[in-house]
Amino acid sequence: MNPQHHLDPASLTSYASGAMPEALAVVAATHLDACTHCRRLLRDAESIGGTLIEQQQDCAAELPRLRGLRDAMLSMLEQPDQSTARVTTLAGSEPPIHQPDTDQLPAPLRPFFGETFAGLRWRWVAPGIHRINVPDARGGKLFMLKIAPGKSMPVHSHSSGELTQILRGAYDDLLGHFGPGDMADLDSAIEHQPVTAPGQACICVAALDAPLRFRGWFARALQPLVGM
Amino acid sequence: MDMLCAGSKIAYFRIERSVSSTRSHRIDLEYWTLQMGAVAGARDRDSFMRLYDHFMPRLVMYLRGLGSEEMVAEELAQEAMLRLWQRAAAFDAERGHVSTWLFRIARNLRLDRQRKEPWWLPVQDGWDALDAELDGHVGAKQRESPEAFAEGKELQRRLDRLPAIQARLLRMSYLESKTHQEIAIELDMPLGTVKSTLRRAFLKLQTTMTHQP
Repeated sequence: MNPQHHLDPASLTSYASGAMPEALAVVAATHLDACTHCRRLLRDAESIGGTLIEQQQDCAAELPRLRGLRDAMLSMLEQPDQSTARVTTLAGSEPPIHQPDTDQLPAPLRPFFGETFAGLRWRWVAPGIHRINVPDARGGKLFMLKIAPGKSMPVHSHSSGELTQILRGAYDDLLGHFGPGDMADLDSAIEHQPVTAPGQACICVAALDAPLRFRGWFARALQPLVGM
Repeated sequence: MDMLCAGSKIAYFRIERSVSSTRSHRIDLEYWTLQMGAVAGARDRDSFMRLYDHFMPRLVMYLRGLGSEEMVAEELAQEAMLRLWQRAAAFDAERGHVSTWLFRIARNLRLDRQRKEPWWLPVQDGWDALDAELDGHVGAKQRESPEAFAEGKELQRRLDRLPAIQARLLRMSYLESKTHQEIAIELDMPLGTVKSTLRRAFLKLQTTMTHQP
């Protein structure tokens, strides 16, 4: 699996910063899990975080409990040192994480959708379309879609934040061919009409940003008026 | 924001002395990587405590800035530092600096404990093992290529030279954990502009173009 369509750099920084709403982050992580190219870019995005932390002023004197924490750390270092050995042997003996052509779902999806494709409990939505919603991902809607082969989807554009990762099958639209491992991280300006490839149903995982929520009492008071 | 905080001069002096050099107390990547090498290789506690004295207050500040209560921020930072000690052998300087490693673990611990998103830690562990395998060197590697140091220093320089609005959006993302939507609302800026500004900032900062296929 060598993905051809990747995460937008803006999404990468959002994921790296830990700010991305969980629903979207799960889909981004599913792409990252399949894409060494984006994992390398993610390291770059995380090194921005490391540098920003490093560049903070040293405010040790503002932390009155630091002395006690330091002593506590020192006494933890005194304890027998087993964890390192354990971690090292683990890293050396662990079986490969990616076993292609298995029924297993990508690791980031398992807490939300279960272990295997075979175990998915699809719900009928429309002819040729099935869906699974996840109620408990924070900050957005997380769901899987299964679309029958050779099916033409209605023309649509995308809301503010939407990520779609292809797991099985494929579709084509004006942006090209999207197969397993590919990410559709689309601008809201893009209007497209995906057509699923013949042969195999297209299974993808997607997330939508939650609608805008205004902060503060004034904005909240306005909310019903603007229909949010 | 650029004012020196109280007591920073004392800390400055302490760090300078431990570095035994007159160089700026701003990042000395090579120095911290050497300390990590001593922690991993010889389980050197002094080296670890030098890392602790430098990074612990910064991690607490980072976590506090994200809205964690003082006690929680300290606990999470302490746990991040302890993991650095425990996992020093698996630390790979070729895949990022100590500060990046600590940023990542602090971010993941906070998402795990405070936002109840427990999948970040195991997913990261999986990628670490996978990438070590893909890079063809499972396990310890403390030495860092001169190119990697140059990249790290170049990143600092580029961050300093970033246009103000790009720097501000990066800080809102990384240090305040604001989503694109939240940034758009707070700055009264179209969402598309938030994204394109962050995109430009990232591309400008990205120094490791050699990574790309």
